[in-house]
Amino acid sequence: MAKAPTDWSPSNWPRLLYRFFTSFKLATVILVFMTVVTLLGTLGQVDNGLHAAKVKYFHSFVFSEKIFGIPVILPGGLLLMIILFINMTLGAIVKVRKRWKGAGLLVSHFGMLMLLAGGFITWAFSTDGYMALYPGMSTNRVESYREWQLEIIPLSTDGIAEKAWIYPAESLETMYSDEQRVIKAESLPFDVVINGYSKNATPIPVSAPMAAGVTGRELDGFKLSPQKPSKEAEQNLPGCFVEFRPRDGSAPVEAILWAGSYRFDPREKPMPFTFTVNGQLYGALLVKKSWTVPFTVRLDEFIFERHPGVMTARNYESRVTRFEEAQPDKPLEIKMNEPMRHAGYTFFQESFGPSGSQPGDEMFSQFAVANNPADQWPLWALIINGIGLGIHFVIMLVNFTVRARNKRLSLPALS
Amino acid sequence: MMLRYSLSFLLAVPALLLLVGCGDSEITPALIERSLSDSEKNFKIAESSTERFRYQTSPSVGGTSAAAENTGGPKLVYDTPEGWTEKPGSAMRDINFSIGENAEAECYVARLPGVGGGLLANVNRWRSQMGAEPLTGEQVAALPTKTLFGQQASFVAIDGNYTPGMGSTDTFENYRLLGLILASDAGAVFVKMTGPKDLITKNEAAFDQFTQSIDVNLN
Repeated sequence: MAKAPTDWSPSNWPRLLYRFFTSFKLATVILVFMTVVTLLGTLGQVDNGLHAAKVKYFHSFVFSEKIFGIPVILPGGLLLMIILFINMTLGAIVKVRKRWKGAGLLVSHFGMLMLLAGGFITWAFSTDGYMALYPGMSTNRVESYREWQLEIIPLSTDGIAEKAWIYPAESLETMYSDEQRVIKAESLPFDVVINGYSKNATPIPVSAPMAAGVTGRELDGFKLSPQKPSKEAEQNLPGCFVEFRPRDGSAPVEAILWAGSYRFDPREKPMPFTFTVNGQLYGALLVKKSWTVPFTVRLDEFIFERHPGVMTARNYESRVTRFEEAQPDKPLEIKMNEPMRHAGYTFFQESFGPSGSQPGDEMFSQFAVANNPADQWPLWALIINGIGLGIHFVIMLVNFTVRARNKRLSLPALS
Repeated sequence: MMLRYSLSFLLAVPALLLLVGCGDSEITPALIERSLSDSEKNFKIAESSTERFRYQTSPSVGGTSAAAENTGGPKLVYDTPEGWTEKPGSAMRDINFSIGENAEAECYVARLPGVGGGLLANVNRWRSQMGAEPLTGEQVAALPTKTLFGQQASFVAIDGNYTPGMGSTDTFENYRLLGLILASDAGAVFVKMTGPKDLITKNEAAFDQFTQSIDVNLN
């Protein structure tokens, strides 16, 4: 019998759309692409590092990859997972015939949908950063590992500032190295021009031999040498050229800004480029993006033990006090594998510093601070999945037993 | 059936909007004003770009890199091999030695913030000074390593005719260069020894002894 031609009229589009998204073939194609993307992402991690590979392969809608030297556009993990979510919701939950026999599979598909939804929530809403403290220090501020923003700060002559004007990391990191952006702030007497932004750079003194190979402008005895981004994204130190154009027509001020002028140690003071406009001292620097948590943490004691005779750490843990409005102060311990979970945030004992510290030196403790609304979703999703598969197994077992018994009973007795 | 079609729209349309919406990062045209918290209010007003970019300018004095001594920053400590004579450092050299009766050879340690131009570029810059062909990225990645500051630094040994550059057009024949390059998150470190091949060969063990002795003393 000849197959009826497809009706492409607009009135039939809902049906076509429904048929497309519930198709088993679509699920198969998506799963094949997901296998390919996972393989490429795993291999890409070797060359690009973990963070860059995650962004390129799994947090993208499409990406380009050279396969045998030929550039190929492929769907990214985010696009594939969104389509799989729709496909699974419509195909395995809505369209599927509801009967007791399929109850287990229905439940396990709910588990898979929860896993996908959890991944999306993590991608869209989670934050991760760190908090580094010497004993006695307290803060409620968490800094990003990888994101840098531009700050302009009015300074007193002894280096104190009360407020800052920020060009956010989300905007700064979209800049290309040959792009120029003019940024205005009505409350500042100058416009800011950023150009030559590089995600990883090193200022080289013009007297150094390697400066000969650096093209680009020289400012105050330095050139800015762009570098290949590091595999470990948190090691990148961005740099850029900035120009401050006073609106009263006076001469503009130019400078190189480099993220290395920020601090590597919680006690260190950041060193901004300073300039004066209308008699006011200003500072400009690249700083790590930061945000606050709804409570303050004070490090009371940092316990650090080394293996005998070597510098390698054996154990390190922190005693902290958590301060919160309308709550009693709470002393706590944060150890390896024993994080502090509170108000949606998880504080892990991550590392210590400064690097190269000797026995007896005062050391700081560093916490990884994660906030992920879907933190426990993978666990729940797998439990639901397991329950679903368990139900399915029991149903199949009962069916099989009943069928086998019926078959046995229906056989004529041998005599 | 209409309910099912509506559901497919309800799921697909927001997803498509998401595809379009997430593709464009918002570019903020203006600076955003905010108050600084107590931990963010203190800044150091650097005297120069040299300080702001963490380059050291003070000369070195025996036994410790003493830029740090003047600035209060971390010091480099090391053992001086026998027969090596310590010379004053410079803007680019934390530790500086002359070697040989007539100071025919030299060895120095330089530190740069960031990755200091990169491993490949620096290895090939040294090879070019020795008149050797440049190496590929794979060859540089496969270079042997030696320990420096407790980490694995790429080790380079090149024989040839040495043209130091830096304004000098002189070429010294039958020379040898030994070098270590370490790029770490704390910056790049270069140790370079050059001189007549016989003298450098005789001092290879001293080079290893010196490079393994370099450490940071924060006290």
